Amino acid sequence: MNRKHFLSSLLTLGAGTALPVLGAPARQVVKPVPPRVPDYLSTGDTIGITCPAGFITLKEIEPAIQQIESWGFKIKIGNTVDKRDFSFGGTDAERAADLQQMIDDPGLKAILCARGGYGAVRIVDRLDLSGLSNYPKWVIGFSDITVLLCHIHRNLNMAGIHSKMCNSFPDDWSKAEPVQIDSILSIRQALTGGMMQYPVVMNEKNRTGVAEGALVGGNLKTLETLSGTRSDIDTVGKILFVEDTGEYLYSIDRMFWNLERTGKLGGLQGLIVGGFKIKPDDPGEEFGHTLYDIVLDRVKAYNFPVAFDFPVGHQKNNYALKYGMSHRLTVTTEKVILEDHI
Amino acid sequence: MMHIPPYLQPGDTIALVCPAGYMAPERAQTCIETLRSWGYTVQVGKTMNSHSGNYFSGSDEERLVDLQQALDNPAVKAILCGRGGYGLSRIIDKIDFSVFEKNPKWIIGFSDITILHAHIYTNYKTASLHAPMAGAFNEGGAEEVYVASLRAAMEGKKARYTCDVHPFNRMGRATGSLVGGNLSLLAHLCGTTSEIKTKGRILFLEDVGEYLYNVDRMLYQLKRNGRLDKLAGLVIGGFTEMKDTMRPFGQTVQEIIRDMVKGYDYPVCYNFPVSHGGDNYALKHGMEYTLSVGTEVIILEE
Repeated sequence: MNRKHFLSSLLTLGAGTALPVLGAPARQVVKPVPPRVPDYLSTGDTIGITCPAGFITLKEIEPAIQQIESWGFKIKIGNTVDKRDFSFGGTDAERAADLQQMIDDPGLKAILCARGGYGAVRIVDRLDLSGLSNYPKWVIGFSDITVLLCHIHRNLNMAGIHSKMCNSFPDDWSKAEPVQIDSILSIRQALTGGMMQYPVVMNEKNRTGVAEGALVGGNLKTLETLSGTRSDIDTVGKILFVEDTGEYLYSIDRMFWNLERTGKLGGLQGLIVGGFKIKPDDPGEEFGHTLYDIVLDRVKAYNFPVAFDFPVGHQKNNYALKYGMSHRLTVTTEKVILEDHI
Repeated sequence: MMHIPPYLQPGDTIALVCPAGYMAPERAQTCIETLRSWGYTVQVGKTMNSHSGNYFSGSDEERLVDLQQALDNPAVKAILCGRGGYGLSRIIDKIDFSVFEKNPKWIIGFSDITILHAHIYTNYKTASLHAPMAGAFNEGGAEEVYVASLRAAMEGKKARYTCDVHPFNRMGRATGSLVGGNLSLLAHLCGTTSEIKTKGRILFLEDVGEYLYNVDRMLYQLKRNGRLDKLAGLVIGGFTEMKDTMRPFGQTVQEIIRDMVKGYDYPVCYNFPVSHGGDNYALKHGMEYTLSVGTEVIILEE
């Protein structure tokens, strides 16, 4: 089977939307396929906590457990919590087995990844997603967990939650900043099917317009490293959001070129740029363009709306997003609104 | 069938261009003088004397025009890049290869230039030279074996390189097209029109300044793209200036790769002199080589 046929057959198995068109000149009308939406959570439902990437101790996730239990949910702690294999939360086999058990568990309504780091890509091809298909549940996380969110979107077209994880729950809730609390509570809001609200700071570089489509994306570097694989996402007709941390500007520029050259910008309905913690240029290697320049230059051939400084990323104001679900993005000169429940 | 550009004859013209990062003009002087002493005419592109105040050796347009002119000029028999850095991703889809396709010439460089090698290999089935660039002629480099290997390759001499044994080497003998380059760029090209196929080929990889976890992640990307499973052989070059996270990754690059290729049976050699560390033999990208990995000697020859 040649690569073209291989890819197209994978895509047919996947989200069921059209093939991405390289360098497509304008927005395309693609009939959206509604995602499968797991049941929203009710009091007494159980959330599993697992570590598919970096390691974390049980002590470190106690604030998260207490908080989530106070919301009326039960917690099932996975075997990988408190496990460590160098930077990983257990060996590949252990992490895959823990996540697989949770995927297969009909008693779980959600799987919360304890933290990101690195490692999800090492186990994703070992996972059998049929348990998730049979017992739909929310997979929750961001950063390295972008791998799982993309993989599930691509292969099951099932919604997920892009949000903070256990390691971001404040130790002392009474001393936490309001924005931290709001970000954490947005996870509950998303899990229970509440209407989402995003406090977006206006940026004069925004490009105005209205977009509707499935919300997909995540960590930009992770998206690049999924290119060409069976976890790679199709973005045609969708709203793409990206965020990243610790990358050089030149590298961010290169990653936006990867989006362009893999056909992920041409067919977009809208673009949301979250937080980017930029690694300073090395002396003598000044890049000379800001993040805003980089993005606007890359999308100048298209006319979809672009919102900068959206509260998503490796930062305190990182609000939960319903991944893969239909949203409306409205960008005017005065405000940015992202609505679910449309 | 691969298109092999004509090898260089005395008096031929070599164009120097800088299609990616900025290079101070004085850093190219030794290279220019050396190429002249070898009997070549040197044409210095505008991007070699750029007035750019930022990262790049000129705007995208300036870099594109300079490279395009060198590609289109029938008098130019080879294009030697001043340095890598970053920048080819921004112009690769704007380059017109129609004249080059009919009259191929040697494109020489490595690192960011991996994009050119991959792109012309995949789209125009044309060989090129993964080799030291202008900067490598400085600090005595012009007298070393690596720059000498570039000269020999341009002249059409067939290379026979050896390298030291490594405990992780996997024995065997393989023949196939030699393709590859910088791992970060090969990963970055996945899913694009510049990506290379590797089935039945000898793949070579090198990188610089990356985090160990990121090397692991990029290798997983190649693997998940099916780029590691049907190789004829694998040549691991230098992975220099590797960085680690606060929580140590726990494996060296060589251990990462050893684990990554466990399920396959092709020959593998480590620490081959292709790298950002100075040890960098000229390799004819896309041409047929034989890799012999033995217990005492490792040979890569055309």
